[in-house]
Amino acid sequence: MSVPDYMQCAEDHQTVLVVVQPVGIVPEDQFFKIYKRIASVSQVSIRDSQRLLYIRYRHHYLPENNEWGDFQTHRKVVGLIAITTCGSAKEWPQTAERFHGQKEVYSATLYDSRLLVFGLQGEIAEQQRTDVAFYPSFEDCSDVEKRVEDFVESIFIVLESKRLDRATDKSGDKIPLLCVPFEKKDFVGLDTDSRHYKKRCQGRMRKHVGDLCLQASMLQDALVHYHMAVELLRGVNDFLWLGAALEGLCSASVIFHYPGGTAGKTAGRKPSISQPADAGKRHRPGALTANGISADTSTEIGRAKNCLSPEDIIEKYKEAISYYGKYKNAGVIELEACVKAVRVLAIQKRAREASEFLQNAVYINLGQLSEEEKIQRYSILSELYELIGFHRKSAFFKRVAAMQCVAPTIPEPGWRACYKLLLETLPGYSLSLDPKDFSKGTHRGWAAVQMRLLHELVYASRRMGNPGLSVRHLSFLLQTMLDFLSDQEKKEVTQSLENYTSKCPGGMEVITLPDGLKLPPVPFTKLPIVRSVKLLNLPVSLRPHKVKGLLGQNMATASPFIYSPIIMHNRGEERCKKIDFQWVQGDVCEVQLMVYNPMPYELRVENMGLLTSGVEFESLPAALSLPAESGLYPVTLVGVPRTAGNITVNGYHTSVFGVTSDCGCLVEVVPSLPRLQLSTSLPRSAHTPQPMSKEELSSTVSVQLFNGETQQLTITLENIGSEDIETLELTSKIVSTKEFLSWELDEPLSHLPLKHGQAVTLTVNIKVKLDFSGQENLLQDLNDDGISVTGLPISSPLRQVLKPRPETKPVSSESGKAEYSHIKTLEAVLNFKYSGGAGKVEGYYRELSLGVHVDVEPSVFFTRVSTLPATSTRQCHLLLDIFNPTEHELTVSAKNNQDLVLHASECQRMAIQVDKFDFESLPQPDQETTRFTNPKQLEEERQHAQGCQINSKLGICWSIISFQWLQASVEGVLNQLVLEHLQLAPLQWDVLVNGKPCDCDVIADCKVGDAVTLEVKLTNLSKNSVGPLALTVVPYQDYQNGVQNYDLEDAVTFIGSNTFYIDTVKPKENAVCVGALLFLYTGDFYLNIKFQDDSAGRELPLAWFTLPSVHIKALDAPLQAGA
Amino acid sequence: MAVCIAVIAKENYPLYIRSVPTQNELKFHYTVHTSLDVVEEKISAVGKSLGDQRELYLGLLYPTEDYKMFRKLHNSFTDVMCNPFHNPGDTIQSKAFDGIVSGMMVQTG
Repeated sequence: MSVPDYMQCAEDHQTVLVVVQPVGIVPEDQFFKIYKRIASVSQVSIRDSQRLLYIRYRHHYLPENNEWGDFQTHRKVVGLIAITTCGSAKEWPQTAERFHGQKEVYSATLYDSRLLVFGLQGEIAEQQRTDVAFYPSFEDCSDVEKRVEDFVESIFIVLESKRLDRATDKSGDKIPLLCVPFEKKDFVGLDTDSRHYKKRCQGRMRKHVGDLCLQASMLQDALVHYHMAVELLRGVNDFLWLGAALEGLCSASVIFHYPGGTAGKTAGRKPSISQPADAGKRHRPGALTANGISADTSTEIGRAKNCLSPEDIIEKYKEAISYYGKYKNAGVIELEACVKAVRVLAIQKRAREASEFLQNAVYINLGQLSEEEKIQRYSILSELYELIGFHRKSAFFKRVAAMQCVAPTIPEPGWRACYKLLLETLPGYSLSLDPKDFSKGTHRGWAAVQMRLLHELVYASRRMGNPGLSVRHLSFLLQTMLDFLSDQEKKEVTQSLENYTSKCPGGMEVITLPDGLKLPPVPFTKLPIVRSVKLLNLPVSLRPHKVKGLLGQNMATASPFIYSPIIMHNRGEERCKKIDFQWVQGDVCEVQLMVYNPMPYELRVENMGLLTSGVEFESLPAALSLPAESGLYPVTLVGVPRTAGNITVNGYHTSVFGVTSDCGCLVEVVPSLPRLQLSTSLPRSAHTPQPMSKEELSSTVSVQLFNGETQQLTITLENIGSEDIETLELTSKIVSTKEFLSWELDEPLSHLPLKHGQAVTLTVNIKVKLDFSGQENLLQDLNDDGISVTGLPISSPLRQVLKPRPETKPVSSESGKAEYSHIKTLEAVLNFKYSGGAGKVEGYYRELSLGVHVDVEPSVFFTRVSTLPATSTRQCHLLLDIFNPTEHELTVSAKNNQDLVLHASECQRMAIQVDKFDFESLPQPDQETTRFTNPKQLEEERQHAQGCQINSKLGICWSIISFQWLQASVEGVLNQLVLEHLQLAPLQWDVLVNGKPCDCDVIADCKVGDAVTLEVKLTNLSKNSVGPLALTVVPYQDYQNGVQNYDLEDAVTFIGSNTFYIDTVKPKENAVCVGALLFLYTGDFYLNIKFQDDSAGRELPLAWFTLPSVHIKALDAPLQAGA
Repeated sequence: MAVCIAVIAKENYPLYIRSVPTQNELKFHYTVHTSLDVVEEKISAVGKSLGDQRELYLGLLYPTEDYKMFRKLHNSFTDVMCNPFHNPGDTIQSKAFDGIVSGMMVQTG
């Protein structure tokens, strides 16, 4: 036996083999039609016994394989169905003779046979014969299936009788020795009476009976017989038959475990009606009753015991195969067993073990195989590998099979088959023939292996005589594998490509193979590589210009000018993003491409032209020759539009190495989005805020304002698209430093969604509040100003005389004036983000930008600012030098102050009395924000808040006639120094004389001779504790002429010490110290409360230690009055 | 010792492949390529049994411990991956790695 049946599977062991053959002349198609009908009767339920008989049909079976029938009965041909045609009665005897001849071939094993005669009518056909059926024609044979069923039943009767006959062989009879063909000569002259020989006979017979039982659907009996056979044969070391018995055991167990079969879908068995395939394998009442064995539990248990577990099946298969392997002549049996085991493992999903079996099968030597058998073998290996999911190995063997088809030893190589097989290997090498799959990123794969396969495809298709295919494959190879080809290979590939294309030029059509596979076109996008595409405007002298307003709107549509839309970055349904120039019908226009040649040699590109649509366009193709590895190289493609309209440039076409390619430019089209149109209340301008380009802004508005002025900008947003606007967001990007736009978006948002044609309005406040201070020189001024920055208490406010200012200060100087009259600009971009409709679902939105350009004219300037302490420590004077740079008369007012009128270019000083500020009471930023912002930012914020407070308190406004009052801010003017003076000291000192609070302007009265209590109270509002401190009270008299008399020891007496000690004062607490004075004479006295030098707290600002001076008037009074 | 050493990326393409008898390189390409079936099978088996907890070590595919080469190769591979200029996923082009591999290869001539 030399020809293996690769399609075999384990459940084939329970089938009976029937050969269906034509006798005489039978048309092939008719034969196979009948064969198919016969083969449809693959399982027959036997009447009365409820058993099933499975039939395997073959139309071709080697008689030498039949000789192995005793070894495994399913290999035995037990039935023959002959099909013949017979035209007339005369031919009948001859036909019958032939049929008998055919029967002779399998005579040794046949149980029964049938002859189906087609075409014969008349007397002979009338005869009722069991072994012959007559049909008038191939079409008129309705009861073929019925006949076959009857035939199968008759086979069953013989089979059953044989089984019973063998199974009940009594020990008295001599058991014949069954043997395989190659064993026969070994047993010549053997002692037939030895126990060993007898056991061997018994064992082999048991195994044979097991086979018969299996065929006769007696699964339980078969298992028992096989087990016995294994025991017997193991004892006598009859390995070949032991293997067969083990395999029988495996087959029976597989049939039990996998009623659906192991052969996969193609050969899948029809599940019988009473026995659904998916019924639980342990509980198959159908199977039990079908076997004719009563469904009692004992047999079920017995079956479970005899039956092998799924793991054991594989173990036994392994064992059986190892025994088969001992015999060179049993190679086919071994190979088939391997295949069967692999199918079982595939069902069990144990791929790796299956691959071991297959590995073994690869190395089984079947002697000299014909080329066809080799191909078959490799193909089946490939299929089996595919079955267990080893796609790469499958592809490998398929490729080997393909190569075998065209082996040099074959006289007529099957290039077509080779090509077909090669195509089937493509998925295994993860290769598709669509270049689009390779366009995404760099190619990663087994380039060497894939390239080899492509080369083979090219060669095979060429030998098939289909140069078109070779060109396509070769183009594909060149396009996708370019990075992996060496310079030499590139040269070779292109040379052969040029050779092929000289016979059959490559094109852009899809090649469809006979089996339906489509080979998409391969455009050479890499030969040459195009880096950029740019449409060029016409030369200036040839450019068309439009006559404005002459012919009105109608003319625009009938315009002869051609527009060119941009093909790149075309977004959404915004169908035509036109380039802002025109081409003219009939004039040559140009497109510039930047290309480069990646090949190591000169690349000749012929017939390069533009692909366009929309307008009849005559492309004038260019031929170019790019030097080796050229680098970027500009190429200008020209063409002439022949009609007017809108033209779309879709791509370009080239012809390289005789292959024409169309290379398109890919632009993504996103779902539709709404469109917003914007109009404003302010005039448009041509200004473009610096970092933005003109294209990005839809429009810009511009306005001129005085510093401090506020203007409202009304923006009308209209939906001009077809989609509803569902979301709208507004952000602003300030180009200059200061925020000056504010808006309320809630109102317009409440109108959403905005349908087509609807509009919303949005009001944006433009509030310019630039620095009202002059330039830096102001600060220097401040520092010069000795008085205002003096920290120590100034006892007499009358002494605070301002230094006269030099008249040459910048206010009056011409250069300074120029500086103040300088116009500043503020710019911002308002961004409207909106979305809606299908595009919103996809996550797209549109942006509309409006530029805002504000020219700020200076209004008032505070050229100088300084403070003067007021008489009260809780107040101070703020002095502002205000300059009017405008050409109008200006009125400045502050809270509680008179209006100040300034003429053009006039500078005046304004003094405002202000209460000092308690900045500690400003809301502190909460912990959360403090943590995430840096100290510098916090500091700035703090200063800003302080500035705001000062502003609101001062309320400085200015106005030009015919304008409303506008606010001016001193925020920017106030430097740290001034702020400190404006700030209420955190140490609050209160001096009480006789229990009366005493501030600067208050004059306390007392009587001479009475003790005057002096109480100093310190309230600590700072965050740190202060002290201890020592205060000394020094009385003096001021003669109001610059002389102060401190020599008052005779006039004023201290009761107790003239020094107060204040202990450490914790934050939020206060300390009081009390002393007393006695005035001996009448007069006006002042008390100067000084700090002693050694007292702590020197690190604190001096301004904190400002005590009010005390003015006491000592009167003579009651004694005299009383007198 | 070895005749062919290959490093395969997880997306199934060779990061590095070198074989000693250079005249028959393609054969080794085929061998390595087909052997990936087993790796894939192992990975899918591991994925099934452990769910998300993937055991990335698949065990020895071959008795490499006879030669103790895996550790050496892996260390070198780690070095390559640690190179900040190496882009994971690119083919390995490293002299040091080449050197290690050469040391493991059969010495011919």
